[in-house]
Amino acid sequence: MKQYIILADLDRCIGCRGGCQVACKTEHGIALGPSRSKLYAMGPTGIFPDLQMYFLPLMCQQCENPTCVQVCPTGACYKDEADGVIKINRDSCIGCQSCKRACPYDAIFFNQELRVSDKCNVCAERREQGEEPACVRNCSGKALMYGDLNDPDSVVSKAIREAGEENVYSLPDCGNQPMGKYILRNAKWLDVLPQEFEKELQGGKTHE
Amino acid sequence: METQKLQQYLDALSISGMEGALPKESAFERCEPGTVKEDGGVKVVKTCCRACIANCGVLAYVKNGRVIKLEGNPEDPMSKGRMCAKGLSGIQALYHPNRNKYPLQRVGERGGNKWKRISWDKALTTIAEKLMDTREKYGAETLFCSTGGGGNPEIWSIARFCNIFGTPNWFEPGCAQCYLPRVLSYTMMYGGVDPSIADSNALELYFPDETPIKCLALWGTDPSYSCPASGGNAVVELRARGVKTISVDPRFTPDAAKADVWLPIRPGTDVALLMSWIRYIMEHKLYDEEIVMKWTNLPYLVDTETHLLVRANTSAKEEEPDTFMVWDENTNSMKPMAYPWDDALKPALTGSFTVDGKEYKPAYQLLWERVLPYTLEKAGEICWLDPVKIEEAIRLFTENTPSGLALGVATDQTPNSVQAAMAAAIIDLMMGNVERPGSLLQRFRTSGVLKMPNYPVPVATKMLPKGQLEKRLGANEHKGLHIWYAGHPSSIRDAVLTGKPYQPRVWIDRSGNKLGVVAESAKWVEAIEKLDFIVHVYMYPTSFSAYADILLPAEEWLETDMIVETCNKLFARQSVTHLWETMDETLFWSKLARKCADLGHEGCKKAFDAEFMGEDLAYWDSMEEFFSHFTKVVGMDWKEFAEKAPFEYLPKDEWRTYYVYKNIDEKTGKPQGFATPSKKLELYLESMIHLSRTGQPFAAEPLPPASKDYDPLPYYLEPFESPVREDGLHEEYPLVMTNGRVPFYHHSTLRNIPALREMYPVPEIWVNPKTAEKYGISHGDWTYVESKRGKITAKACVTEGIHPGVVFMERFWNPETLDTKTHGWQEMNVNVLTKSTAPFNDVVGTYTLRGFQVRISKAEAAPEGVWTKPEDFKSWLPAGTGETSDISKEGKR
Repeated sequence: MKQYIILADLDRCIGCRGGCQVACKTEHGIALGPSRSKLYAMGPTGIFPDLQMYFLPLMCQQCENPTCVQVCPTGACYKDEADGVIKINRDSCIGCQSCKRACPYDAIFFNQELRVSDKCNVCAERREQGEEPACVRNCSGKALMYGDLNDPDSVVSKAIREAGEENVYSLPDCGNQPMGKYILRNAKWLDVLPQEFEKELQGGKTHE
Repeated sequence: METQKLQQYLDALSISGMEGALPKESAFERCEPGTVKEDGGVKVVKTCCRACIANCGVLAYVKNGRVIKLEGNPEDPMSKGRMCAKGLSGIQALYHPNRNKYPLQRVGERGGNKWKRISWDKALTTIAEKLMDTREKYGAETLFCSTGGGGNPEIWSIARFCNIFGTPNWFEPGCAQCYLPRVLSYTMMYGGVDPSIADSNALELYFPDETPIKCLALWGTDPSYSCPASGGNAVVELRARGVKTISVDPRFTPDAAKADVWLPIRPGTDVALLMSWIRYIMEHKLYDEEIVMKWTNLPYLVDTETHLLVRANTSAKEEEPDTFMVWDENTNSMKPMAYPWDDALKPALTGSFTVDGKEYKPAYQLLWERVLPYTLEKAGEICWLDPVKIEEAIRLFTENTPSGLALGVATDQTPNSVQAAMAAAIIDLMMGNVERPGSLLQRFRTSGVLKMPNYPVPVATKMLPKGQLEKRLGANEHKGLHIWYAGHPSSIRDAVLTGKPYQPRVWIDRSGNKLGVVAESAKWVEAIEKLDFIVHVYMYPTSFSAYADILLPAEEWLETDMIVETCNKLFARQSVTHLWETMDETLFWSKLARKCADLGHEGCKKAFDAEFMGEDLAYWDSMEEFFSHFTKVVGMDWKEFAEKAPFEYLPKDEWRTYYVYKNIDEKTGKPQGFATPSKKLELYLESMIHLSRTGQPFAAEPLPPASKDYDPLPYYLEPFESPVREDGLHEEYPLVMTNGRVPFYHHSTLRNIPALREMYPVPEIWVNPKTAEKYGISHGDWTYVESKRGKITAKACVTEGIHPGVVFMERFWNPETLDTKTHGWQEMNVNVLTKSTAPFNDVVGTYTLRGFQVRISKAEAAPEGVWTKPEDFKSWLPAGTGETSDISKEGKR
């Protein structure tokens, strides 16, 4: 089975929010407010001036054991066997937002205009046209890559091999087995849920 | 099925014209780079962005005349197919419902923000009549013009119009506060291009697989925020290949976070740190000896009384430099050094020598004496840095060569501006980081299509009537401004306020929000009230527009044309669409000159005489006519050029020319050297003395001397408002303020763009947790920020990423309160706080935008009327354009 994912090389992410935010939202016509991808500043941690920080782009992690799919009462939210990507069928979505609540990464939002849940599908429509996902196409740091994790010759598999297993991370696993991958060599990976981390950081908790 | 829902969503938004701005179906035909094709009703136009100054290549997708999508053009050798948040928001800027659509004339009181639509002809006639009347009654110099503030397709139209009309007064809030100090210093010392990444220089960085650069110092620059798609990416690529980076920045920016060494310097103290680098390099002999001896003027002797270099003879020929004297250690005597080098001599670099009762020292010795006090410990004390870290940075830079020091805008924004650029240049030049592979300082070839790439309009200096130059306000004292033919902002404003030395009366501004970018905005509003007549030309109304008498609609970048030179390629920014009655500013000034000519202005009449104007070009009736003057160099008219662009004008390897100074000049049989008077790298910048006394080499006619000579060597000036001065100020205002870029805005632009405001709705003030606790401020709190000059509000970002004694805030204004009594410039505008008064930089008159004292306190709420939530910006989403007559279209393709 194929497993398409977005891979982010965090040593290359410069936090500019062009591709992953503006291009993504424009491509999918997302209203003001929500976004299919988010960018978290993971830091600064430490005490001035001994600090570290990296940016973490976060979109659907295309989990192997997706809680969002499990909780969907209508089957609208499903893992597509053709590409391993989790998709939401807008015709059968009833807008109950169970999936949104079930996602440990806060990667699903409720599309107020369409009254359905909405999330990253690795730009399925663009891929059908032979195009890269909008975020990958426009990423200034060339930090974002996409491809089939199960194909050893894909861009993402090659990048993972080149980085070395010790430098490849996934978000914390809450039993859902996230498939998304992050490369980080030049900073210490923080094994936390980014949205929780952000709250703590903004609440004044110092991370050392 | 999805399409149906999307349509419902669009209907729900009830925004007419929105359908075009969003793809109904994401079924775009794949378009191979290198082709422009029209298929399925979608046309792809290759153009270039101008949301900032980086000019990134763009593919604009157009359907039924409406721009529906933007993507980077992979053919661009700098942005390589990427666009940043600013550029990608271009559609929202283009179809903004609040665009200036037609010429408007004020009705009711000035500042009342009430307008009526008038025709272009009426607008131009009204302005021209006012200009002619003012000129007759009070003199042409009482008109002043300005530009800047972002979004400008080009700036020289303003300088040109001023020359032709006969006024020496135009200014930019940038200029001495932005880039000019660096251009001036590198031009005078080296004669090549400065290393500003955000100004699309340092082109060596864009060839990561080929350049041998090993260490890059990002000094007061953060390419990941200022130009993510071009410079930001270049630095990413270099880091990925093992290039070491150093970040000198008070803020823990993305580039600071990724740097090998971060030096969080106290704002405004950069020259002290630069001097410590120079001292360390000299003390430990880490410099490139061959370059220093043979290609800098440091071995040349200086008369310690006159501060001038000692000459054996002066040369009348441009290709031959004067002959300078050295102290020859072989003969223990003063000897002329034949250009470029005489092997028989062994010049002394240090010491003091007396001949016939006069004392002489090598320039090297004078530089050493200048930097001597700046030990690592001293710099650490001044700059609030750990001396160990300073040494680590210097070692990294000097042990990993070739290296390069990219100086950003930060140092341009303090009165120590020129000295910072001089000191930075000294470091790279002493290290031999010049014109070798891996250096940032290069003289790569250019197409020759434009004299100054990307800034085509000829300034027509000869048109300024004799005697007018001396009336350029503030520019007799700050003569470095003449390199850009500019006046001094504070001097112009003070002339308006005081009538001294004369009373300026009419202001034409083509720029972003003046009140968002000039220092001490409130003082400018006082000046505005004294003016007879104000014209504002821009894409949308700003705070400044509210005070104007005539408001004119300028084109957004997707409507404009420009020849864009990017590395070894030529691109065309070409109008993808045209809306309402907007006009390209480069055409506007031509039309205004035509009206003045019709009313009998002799200079303006001559400006339409092609023979008389010669290389300065006669004024143009269309952009096509204007650009065709230049594109003929490559054998095309503009139309053909725009169709064929982008294309390579030279193969990459022929374009990148290294060691230009070693090329043999056919006239002399000697190396051509550097483009300086001595053909050496002028680290001892004697030309500063001549500049201060006469205005040479930049002023077109001799000017009276400045009150004192400019210094040929850099010197450190402690910020006038400072936490270490013993004047009591810092007890009341304890924190040092600095500014800097965020990746969502350029200068005062784009605060009206929903896609950007939803990400960065209000300006943050960065406060260290220790400091926040002291003042009872929590993350996200509304916070008052006050200086001696005013009080504003910002949102607290409590972060370890800044020194406890420093705060950071980005410039801002609020278009949502434009139609209130604040006109949007008073709530969150850090330039209410900045300092526009002396001391200025001696050479160019820089005032204080960074490195001044503030205090903070908790505010109870957001300023009234300010928008903070994403949905607040809904009314600014793209609107329909409707049917409109297109009177300026005749001037376009």
